[in-house]
Amino acid sequence: MTAGFNAGKTGDKRFFDRDFREMFSSQLVSLTGGVIAGAALAAYTDKLLLLPGMLIILPGFLEMRGNISSSFASRLSSGLFLRVINPDKIKSKIIVGNLAASFFLAVFVSLVLGVVAFAFNYFFLQQVFWKIVFLPLLAGVIANAIEIPLTLAATLYLFKKGHDPNNIMGPFVSSTGDITSIAALLIALAVL
Amino acid sequence: MKNKNGKKEAENKNDGKTGLKEIGNPLARVFHEAHAHKRVVVTPRLPRKLERLRALPRKHFHPLQHDLHAKHKLSRKTLFYVKEYGAHSNVAGTIIKESIKILLLASIVSSLGGFALENIKAAFVAIVPLVVLLPALNDMIGDYASIISSRFSTMLHEGKVRGCERGWWKNAELHKLFMQVLFLAVFTATLGAAAALVISSASFAVSALVAFKVFAIALIDAVLLVTVLFFVAIAAGFYFFGKGEDPSNFLIPITTSIADFGNMLLLALLVTVFF
Repeated sequence: MTAGFNAGKTGDKRFFDRDFREMFSSQLVSLTGGVIAGAALAAYTDKLLLLPGMLIILPGFLEMRGNISSSFASRLSSGLFLRVINPDKIKSKIIVGNLAASFFLAVFVSLVLGVVAFAFNYFFLQQVFWKIVFLPLLAGVIANAIEIPLTLAATLYLFKKGHDPNNIMGPFVSSTGDITSIAALLIALAVL
Repeated sequence: MKNKNGKKEAENKNDGKTGLKEIGNPLARVFHEAHAHKRVVVTPRLPRKLERLRALPRKHFHPLQHDLHAKHKLSRKTLFYVKEYGAHSNVAGTIIKESIKILLLASIVSSLGGFALENIKAAFVAIVPLVVLLPALNDMIGDYASIISSRFSTMLHEGKVRGCERGWWKNAELHKLFMQVLFLAVFTATLGAAAALVISSASFAVSALVAFKVFAIALIDAVLLVTVLFFVAIAAGFYFFGKGEDPSNFLIPITTSIADFGNMLLLALLVTVFF
């Protein structure tokens, strides 16, 4: 199944080819981040997961962070490669616009998730639990205040060092996003 | 008119070969860079064409775009970026307008899967290794959905797989992609389950039976979802490609939403069956 794997005529015929190695290494990074986030989640299960509606918020909240920051990194990378974005000039129109849009999207989607969870609690569990609306909202603000500047700095740094951020930022964002999201939810819970 | 053109040509000569002085800095850099690599065909009229492109309404497709691509060898990606985020566009507004619908849809679909898990919350949170594994499994399945979708889209574009091809399952490249992703899914699910069991052993009594069930849940979840996502990506890819659309724009949102929803639903089902 290894070297002689039946592959296309033009591509690399080996099973463990360059694509496989790239997928493998990115998945290892992503898995590490996911397991760390899961460990934090398990440690605070009684405070976080036992809140009514929390399991409705959690998948969407974790997914959103990756979606927003990955798209942000991807847009930055395209701009950097096209030389429309100067890696040494952060206060440009495109970067500021991207930062503002990413932050707004994250806060808005967090609020919607909170409302969905509140509606579930109200209609299915007959519970009025307002905290579930403000918890993802505050956590979204905290997580993005960390994650979005981190994504910007990492993308610019990788580009300046001669790497292609497209290959690295996906797993980086999904693993750091999970950790910051869980940490932000815990901070928001402590504040509220 | 002639005078105006004459003036422009004079300016172009002053500015050397490119004549992009009157165009904004970023565009000039794009152009200079491309010109340095001898990719772009330079004519005196190119600067004005680029300026006209920037001034066009964002969603308006103009034959000028095709002309710039075909005649001047400027890539479609460059032209898209110039038009999308040019001087006349509101960058934040454009991004928000284009992303908000799909983001809301993806987040709400992910949350729908959470409804199933919320219903068996008491049983689920009692199995600590599964709580540790949850974010990793969610990420993993979503990542495989993106990989399958983007690689299959590229295969369609490159003509390695023909649209609605009969006997596509005999295609060696597709076989390889499926086997690679399946192998990775099995490997990472096993690794994730092992890590989750080790981490949770500090606060949770991990018996051989519980360990077996956690491994079984992780493996069944990963293998079943990767297989379903593979067939969904192929069916949707052939459909959109056959309709003359770019499958890249549709496959990733479709498959990642199914991945999130399916993962939570399947987890809820497997926890009910096994525990």
